[in-house]
Amino acid sequence: MAATGTERDAELEELRARVAELEAELVEQAARTERIVAAAQQRTYWLDRWHLDLDALMRRRAIGAPLDVAFRALRKLRHGLQKARRRLTGP
Amino acid sequence: MSRVSVVIPVKDGERWLPELLAALAREAPDELLAIDSGSTDRSRELLRAAPGVELLEIPPAEFGHGRTRNLGAERTSGEIVAFLTQDATPQPGWLAALRAGFALDERVGAVFGPHLPRADTSPMIARELERHFATFAAPDGSPALQGPGDEPFLSNVNAAYRRDCWEAIRFRDVAYSEDQAFGRDLLAAGWLKAYLPDMAVLHAHDYGALEFMRRYFDEYRGLRETTGHVEAFQPLGALRTVRAETAADLRWLRERGAPAGERARWAARASVHHGGRRVFSALGSRAERLPAPLRERLSLEGRADGGDTAAALPPATPIAPLRADDPYGAAARVMRDGPAPLLPPAPGLAEHERLRIALVLPPWRRGSGGHNTLMQLLSRLERRGHVCSVWLHDPHGELRALRPAVLRRQLDEWFAPFGGPVYAGFEDWHGADVAVATGWQTVHPILLLDQTHARAYVVNDHEPEFFGTSTERVLAEDTYRHDIHCVAASPWLRDLLIERYRAPADAFQLGVDHAIYAPRPDVARRADTVVYYARHSTDRRAVPIGLMALGELHRRRPQTRVVLFGTDKPPPTTFPYEHLGVLAPPQLAALYAEATVGLCLSLTNFSLMPKEMLACGLPCVELAGVSAESIFGADGGPLALAPLDPVALADAMERLLDDRDAWERRARAGIDFVASHTWDVATDEVEAGLRHALRDPEA
Repeated sequence: MAATGTERDAELEELRARVAELEAELVEQAARTERIVAAAQQRTYWLDRWHLDLDALMRRRAIGAPLDVAFRALRKLRHGLQKARRRLTGP
Repeated sequence: MSRVSVVIPVKDGERWLPELLAALAREAPDELLAIDSGSTDRSRELLRAAPGVELLEIPPAEFGHGRTRNLGAERTSGEIVAFLTQDATPQPGWLAALRAGFALDERVGAVFGPHLPRADTSPMIARELERHFATFAAPDGSPALQGPGDEPFLSNVNAAYRRDCWEAIRFRDVAYSEDQAFGRDLLAAGWLKAYLPDMAVLHAHDYGALEFMRRYFDEYRGLRETTGHVEAFQPLGALRTVRAETAADLRWLRERGAPAGERARWAARASVHHGGRRVFSALGSRAERLPAPLRERLSLEGRADGGDTAAALPPATPIAPLRADDPYGAAARVMRDGPAPLLPPAPGLAEHERLRIALVLPPWRRGSGGHNTLMQLLSRLERRGHVCSVWLHDPHGELRALRPAVLRRQLDEWFAPFGGPVYAGFEDWHGADVAVATGWQTVHPILLLDQTHARAYVVNDHEPEFFGTSTERVLAEDTYRHDIHCVAASPWLRDLLIERYRAPADAFQLGVDHAIYAPRPDVARRADTVVYYARHSTDRRAVPIGLMALGELHRRRPQTRVVLFGTDKPPPTTFPYEHLGVLAPPQLAALYAEATVGLCLSLTNFSLMPKEMLACGLPCVELAGVSAESIFGADGGPLALAPLDPVALADAMERLLDDRDAWERRARAGIDFVASHTWDVATDEVEAGLRHALRDPEA
C-alpha cells in the first residue's frame, strides 16, 4: 500500500532529524580529533623545536640505557623524598 | 620495522667475500642479492654456497656502476636498499644503525657510513678516511642530517636508500661516480641524507703506488663526466700540498706510536702517493684531451673511451624532477583537471552553530600584518565554538625546517591565541565544512581539496597589484575567477572584486585591539614628532614617496623629529631621523601615544595601522583616491588625506603640526570613529561571509 502524504512527511522529518544527529556527531568527532592533535603538538613543542626524536635517541645503546637508568633513579629519589616529607609533615 | 635488502655487485671478489658474507650473516638483513659480472675466480662458488644469498649473473659488458645498482634495486623488494662493495665488511651494529638512520626523519632518502681502514692500510689512506668522514658527523660525533646546500657526497661502498627516493631519482647510467650524482640529485629534489657513524664498514683499497695513481685518474675522470668538476693543477701549489700532506701523515703515525724507522719508510711512499695523486687527478679531469691509447694505459679500469666530449656539447647536468616543491603545481592541476568537486549541499549547514573551518595560510614571519588579521579572526571564531584548524601551504619550503608543533606555537605567540592543530601541507587533509584561502598562493591548493562543503577566500588585498607583468600577476588574478566566495577586507576591495572579476563577495572592516591601542593619558605627547611606517621591502607602501615627503617637511621644518619604524634595515634618506625597527604591538601603542602626526601610506587596500594610530589619539596622513574613502567617507573623516605627491603630503603633515585646533579635532574624531571597529565586529562579518559561502552551493 502506498504511503500517505502525512506518513511520507513524518518519514522525511525522521530522516532529517537523523541526518542532523549524524552531522552533529561528525562535528563532535572532528572537534575531539583536532583537540587531540593540538594537545599532542602542545606537548611535543620543545622536542620538535630542537628536532629531537626521543624514540631514536633512546634506541641508541650508548645514550638510551644510561638516560633511562638516570631518569628512573631520579623518579625513585623524588618519590622517596615525597614519602619522607609526608611522614614528617603528616597526612 | 622496514625490510632491508642488501645488493653487492661482484667481480673477482674472492679475497674479501668470505669476510663480507660472514658479517652479513651476523647482521641478518631481510634479503641479500649479489650481482656477478663475469668473475673468473671463486666468487660465484662462494656466493652460491652462502645461505640466503641470491646470485644474479650478468655479462661483463652489461655492467655499469649506476645501471647494475638500478638492476639490483629492481630485483629486490625491501623498503630500504643497501649497497656494499665486495671489499667492504660491515661492522657489528651496521644494520641497526642503518635502520635508525631512516627513522631520524621521513625525508631521509639515503644514509651512508664511514669506511674504516683495515689493519694493513697505508697511513695515507687511513688518515684520509678518518679526516674525510669526520667532517660529516655532528660536533658530538653523532649522526647528522644533510640537506640542500650541504656537501652532496655519497659513497656506494657503504650506503642505503629509501626505495621511494631511489624510485624517484634512480642512479644515472654513468661510468663512474653514480653515487655522487645521486647525492646531488637527491638534495636538489628536496630529500635529506644522513651520515651515520655507527654504520661502519672496513674498507680500503690496497693498491701499489702506481695503481693508486691510475685509480685517481679514473676517479677524477668520472667526476668530470658526472659533475663537470675539473681538478686545478699548479706545480708550485702541488709541491706545497705534497709536503703538507706528507708531514700530516708522519704526524699521524707519530701520534699512533710508530717508531722513527717506520715513519722514515712511509715518508718516501707518502710523497710519491700525494705527488702522484695531484698529477693523475689533474690528468683524469682532462682525460678527453689525451690520446685514447694513453688514456687506456693511465686507467686502472683500462677505459679508452671518453675522448670525444671536448668536441661535442659540454657535459649536461641531468636535473631530477621536483617533488612537492613546485610553486605552480596546484595551479597547473586546477587548469588541467578543474577543481575537486564539493560535497553535495547540506541543507541547513550554513545555520549550524559549529562549523568545521580549515584556514589555509601561506608562510608567515613575525610582524606579518595579514597573518595577524587572519589569526585574530580565527582565534575569535574558535572561541565561538567553531572547530578550527590551520593548514600551511609552503611550496617554496620557507618554513620547511619547522615542525607543526613549532608552527602552531608561533601563530599562538606572534599573532593571537589558538587552541587548534596546525598541519604542514595537505597530506593529512580530512575535510571541512568550509576551506578558507587567505592569499593568492593558497587558492589553487584549496580548489584541489575534497571532502569540503564550501570554499571561501578571505581577501586582505588586491594582490595582482603586488606584481609587475608576470606569471604571479596572472595567477593572482585567476584566483578571483573560480566563483569562490570572497570576504574582502574593506568595502573598496569588495566592490573591486565584484566589478572587475564578477566574484561573489562580502566585506569586513579590520578591527582594532582596543586593549592595546587606546589613548594614554599617562604618556606626555611630544610636540613636532612625525612617525612613519617605512616598510620599504613592501612596494605598495610607497616608501620612496613617503621619504620624499619627509625630506620636504625637513627642509621646511628642520627641527621636526622624524621617527621611522616597521623595518629592520634603516632606509637611506636625505634627512636625519631616529630608527626603531620592527615593534611589538604594545611598543607601537607607546610610540603612537607620544607622537604628533602619523604617516602611513598604502597604494592598494587600506591597512590596519592608520586605524591603530587613530585609536591612540594620533592624527594620521594617508593617500587620497585609493581606498581610504570607502571606510572614512569622501573627505577622509578623521584622516588627513593627500594625493600621491610629496609636496601635498608634506603640506598635510605641516598643517597638523601647526594647527593645534585641527589636530585636536582630528584626534577626537579618530578615537570616536574607530571605537566601533573591533575584532569581534570583524569576526561577525567574516562569520557571516563563511555562512554565505555555505549557502552559495545550495543556491
